[in-house]
Amino acid sequence: MKTKKLTLLFLIIIGAFIISACTGQPLTNNYPGLTADAERAYISTGSFIYAVDVQNGRQVWSYPESAGNEFLYFANPVLTEDGQLLIGSAGTNHAFISLDPTTGNEKWAEPFSGAKGAWVASPLVFNDTIYAPNTDGYLYVLDLNGNQVSPPIEIGGALWSAPVTDGTYIYLNSLDHHFHILNPSTNQLADPIDLGGAAPGSPTVGNDGVYAGSFSSDVKFIAPNGRNDVIASASDWIWGAPAFDNETLYYADLSGNIFSLDLKTNRQNWDTLKPDGPVTASLLVVGDQIYVATEAGSFIALDRDGKIIWEKTPGGKIYTTPVLSNDLILVAPYQADFALAAYDADGKQAWTFTPNK
Amino acid sequence: MWELIIVQPLTNLLLWIYDSLGHGPHMFGLAIILFTVLIKLVTWPLNASQVKGAQAMQELQNDKEWQDIQKKYAKDREKLAQEQMRIYREKGINPFASCLPTLIQFPIIIGLYQSIIRALSVTPLDMLKLARTVYPFQNVENIIPLNSTFLWMDLGRPESIQILGFGLPTLAVIVALTTWMQTKLTMPASTNPNDQTAQMTRMMSIYMPLMLGWFSLTFASGISVYFIISNILGIVQYAATGRANWRNLIPGASKQTSPAKK
Repeated sequence: MKTKKLTLLFLIIIGAFIISACTGQPLTNNYPGLTADAERAYISTGSFIYAVDVQNGRQVWSYPESAGNEFLYFANPVLTEDGQLLIGSAGTNHAFISLDPTTGNEKWAEPFSGAKGAWVASPLVFNDTIYAPNTDGYLYVLDLNGNQVSPPIEIGGALWSAPVTDGTYIYLNSLDHHFHILNPSTNQLADPIDLGGAAPGSPTVGNDGVYAGSFSSDVKFIAPNGRNDVIASASDWIWGAPAFDNETLYYADLSGNIFSLDLKTNRQNWDTLKPDGPVTASLLVVGDQIYVATEAGSFIALDRDGKIIWEKTPGGKIYTTPVLSNDLILVAPYQADFALAAYDADGKQAWTFTPNK
Repeated sequence: MWELIIVQPLTNLLLWIYDSLGHGPHMFGLAIILFTVLIKLVTWPLNASQVKGAQAMQELQNDKEWQDIQKKYAKDREKLAQEQMRIYREKGINPFASCLPTLIQFPIIIGLYQSIIRALSVTPLDMLKLARTVYPFQNVENIIPLNSTFLWMDLGRPESIQILGFGLPTLAVIVALTTWMQTKLTMPASTNPNDQTAQMTRMMSIYMPLMLGWFSLTFASGISVYFIISNILGIVQYAATGRANWRNLIPGASKQTSPAKK
């Protein structure tokens, strides 16, 4: 009977193990966040944030010293003019921290810990004030030392994307299907504007208003006074922020379609362009080239007519919006052999970065 | 394959129920409850056969011929196994009939957990997976993101109630309690000191509540809601057969009916 007891116990432990294994990944897992200045790229890949020298792809520093599920970083870190690197944790601890971009040392005496939810979105720094959207549905308003300067502003719905500003108002999308306009001088919100679906990506500031895509598959133009119109549509959910470039708006959808909208005529500049997979990253316009990153792992340079100039497959899947640093385009693939790759305008790979072990 | 056969249908079923309920606050919890009822209805015949199989196995333990071969071939395991199989055949008993529903529950539990996490989409990556999971006829852009609030809980996270600064895992306790009740109620009354079925059930009544309680402590509370409703329905189903052994819930009372422990 003792053998039977042991067998049963063993089977139950195996069962527990199988269930644990099948349920798979940790509670929070996501693709990396990325930002860069002229000297360094900063990449957040879960437990660690890395600073990488953009000249040679070498690691400058990493934060923190050891890994743990308590602190996980996935948002795009944000650089401030006074020399801070801001990012919030999406782990079980919802700390919002400030690092020294040159050393990786913590800058604030205490992290801001007033939010109830995880930090998926990057903050906006405007007029020496940090506007930090959280998944708990609140926009936290902090000074540059991490102190709350006003009560959090209830937006509603989880906030996954960074706010943007036209210099007067602050605009932000929410998963609650609405677009919100905040007057930063009074912290008053205008009436929310229905987007028809959740909006996980940021809006984009244009010449005289803002463009916002959503899961409704529509792109809306919204004027600062709240007047809004659907100006274009996609075939599927729109994830990344549209890219505005003079008279053209570039955007993509989860079916993998790339669109180029002539804002003067409200007509598409090309018929169909569908490279090879869903696009969540925003398109990046640099000079005469438009850079597209797809979930299938392709990194593509287009000309303004939609013609593919070159196409690279760095490995892994690409969900993160590429960024420009000097004359290099930085790409952060997910589940690849390296965390970051740099390409020049001709598609030549300058370096790759793999974190030091 | 797992994704196609288990996770995708379960996620779509959950989303469909949630959408049909009006997708407001608390509705995802209600959707999980209705989903559990549906699963129980679908597996009702299987559970009934489990009850029947367990009962047959129980009666067999008290069968004279069965007891005789246990003694006769105590030292010859191979012969004992052959004789046992012969008696199974003669009496039309399937020794695995009582295990099958439990085995079927496992992929449902795993699939449900993955479906809950997928449907609630707490990260952008989860949301992308959800976008690929939904069937074309589902109008999910209207219901995403799901409202994960149910009563005092966030169904996407493990549950606890803060009392005097301590997080009390009430759902885990209820899961362990209802699991214990279910296994105790279905525990057979035996007069045979060598009744292996009763001894196994007694061990199950210790290990199963601990295991499911641990799951509830660790995983999203949506899965705990499934466990609780599933346990309650299991108790109701067993009670409906008139075989529920309510005396087993009283500490000490079970010893009177299970001398095997002496």
